[in-house]
Amino acid sequence: MNKGKEGKPAAKGTSKANNMYKTIWRWHFYAGIIFAPILILLAVTGSVYLFKAEIEETIYQNYYEVTPQGEQLSASEQVEEVKRLYPEALITQYRPGEDEARSSEVTIMENDGSFTVFINPYTGESMGTLNNDDRIMEKIEKIHGELMAGTIGDRIVELVACWTIVLMITGIYLWMPKKKKGLAGVLFPRLNRGKKILRRDLHAVPAFWVMAGLLFLVLTGLPWSGFWGNNFQTIITNSGAGYPPSVWVGDTPVSAAQTKDIAEVPWAAETLDVPLSKIQGLVPLSLDKVIETAEQYNIYPGYTVFIPQEPEGVYTLSIFSPKAQDEATMHIDQYTGAVLADYRYGNYGIIGKVVAWGITLHKGTQFGLPNQLISLFVCLSVIFVAVSGIYLWWKRKPQKGMGAPAAPALVQKKPFLLLMIGLGILFPLVGLSILFVWLMDWVLIQRLPVVKKWLNA
Amino acid sequence: MEKFTVLAILLPSLLFLSACSVRSDAADLYTQEAPIEAEINLPETISANDKITVQAVLTQQGKELEEADFVHFEIWKQDGSVRYPMQEAEDVGGGVYQVMADFVKEGLYYIEVHAGNKGALISPQKQFVVGELSSSDLEALKQGPKKSEGTSGHHH
Repeated sequence: MNKGKEGKPAAKGTSKANNMYKTIWRWHFYAGIIFAPILILLAVTGSVYLFKAEIEETIYQNYYEVTPQGEQLSASEQVEEVKRLYPEALITQYRPGEDEARSSEVTIMENDGSFTVFINPYTGESMGTLNNDDRIMEKIEKIHGELMAGTIGDRIVELVACWTIVLMITGIYLWMPKKKKGLAGVLFPRLNRGKKILRRDLHAVPAFWVMAGLLFLVLTGLPWSGFWGNNFQTIITNSGAGYPPSVWVGDTPVSAAQTKDIAEVPWAAETLDVPLSKIQGLVPLSLDKVIETAEQYNIYPGYTVFIPQEPEGVYTLSIFSPKAQDEATMHIDQYTGAVLADYRYGNYGIIGKVVAWGITLHKGTQFGLPNQLISLFVCLSVIFVAVSGIYLWWKRKPQKGMGAPAAPALVQKKPFLLLMIGLGILFPLVGLSILFVWLMDWVLIQRLPVVKKWLNA
Repeated sequence: MEKFTVLAILLPSLLFLSACSVRSDAADLYTQEAPIEAEINLPETISANDKITVQAVLTQQGKELEEADFVHFEIWKQDGSVRYPMQEAEDVGGGVYQVMADFVKEGLYYIEVHAGNKGALISPQKQFVVGELSSSDLEALKQGPKKSEGTSGHHH
């Protein structure tokens, strides 16, 4: 029942090699069918997200663009206006415009929702408020990162990313020329050898070409996945070779003041409802001083100030700039104004630097337009390869059953088994899903004749 | 049988990976700042015309900060009617810096200590009361601290 009749090169090999070929084909086949749709979704959303800055620049032009006129109001005056407009809201972030023609942004939390208020820094007036959950790019990012399904979605995306690596490795094996017959069907497709060959070549040949780009996107995307990424970041941060703590994972320093030294704020205006001694104490630093510090320390424009919400909290300045070299994370004691930590790209460990570059390249910001266009080309190629792979299966599929090659006893294939164990350890989600497949096979598929026949197991 | 071997290898590695978290001392492996810490000491109760000593006790990296590059004090009344201009504090040793002050008017006051040493700067601001508070003081308290007027940034 296998598909060897198509004259696959391996058919002439020893039966051992043939078995190996079938095993790998079977894994490539099922992994492809299961994960291709999500891979296509990731490539589509990724293609759009590459142009996030340009798209937002256009659709939010009325919120972004201001005409420079005279002096800008101070940050605290701008935040005052937001407090006046939203007296119940919690002010969580302030982002001064990166240039003089850009509005300031104040992020607030109200009724469990997160909103951005755009303020014209010259007039101090609000230019409008956006619900952050409704922002289209936020949605695209949510699909790309977690399929809009929270932690489960994050794990699925991670699983797809890891399985893409399995698909590439098994794909290479299937693509590898078995006979020395030139480069046709290897590096370029054979256009005049019939439809079947063409279909195969239109999957395998572009797949080979796009592999380096896709592998790059997968590897650079993994560090910000929830499970593998977090653990990876933790390990490299702990080793001293990664991001310093708090940039990605790890605790933020705390403001040093003791609670007893901090001034309490009375709530009743007419009478003093706290004792005098509690009025006396340290008062928090004004936001303006934080902005001054940012300027003195040359933090790259476009940074965000995270406003402390707890007595021991700190002001955090954070910028993940288009170019990795401009990144900065700075923590400022909210009472003394002392710079508690000042982490720049130059302070990252070697792996941290590589990851930072990976991220800006993945997002297409590191080299601007050429970066975006190359990444877009990779995304479109991935879509083509995924679709052509599905099409290939669809056309070859027999009337009954999935059309997968028969399953030889998998665990007898030592090299393959070792490879899978290796990948399973490196990417535990892959390992876990392989285990799941084995268990399913063992307790269900092998015992239900109908399913067994359909899956050709 | 081999399925169990696989299980035996995979599960521990999974546990190993999911159990790790960032060490609390991981920051020691990266660049570190040497922030100055300050304690501002004033008498618990201050009446008008009392001659008082205002002290700042400075530490840096856990040690008393002696001979800081500069320590300046600045005091003003909430409504701006009284201002002590920025003045250099006397270094009395042991990381203690002080000025003498007295206040004619009762009300809500602020003191800001500007200190710097080897590139580290701080400017903690403390709120204190002389005598009784006025209704304008109470209103100001509810509003939260105003920014100190005039002295933005520190000019050494």
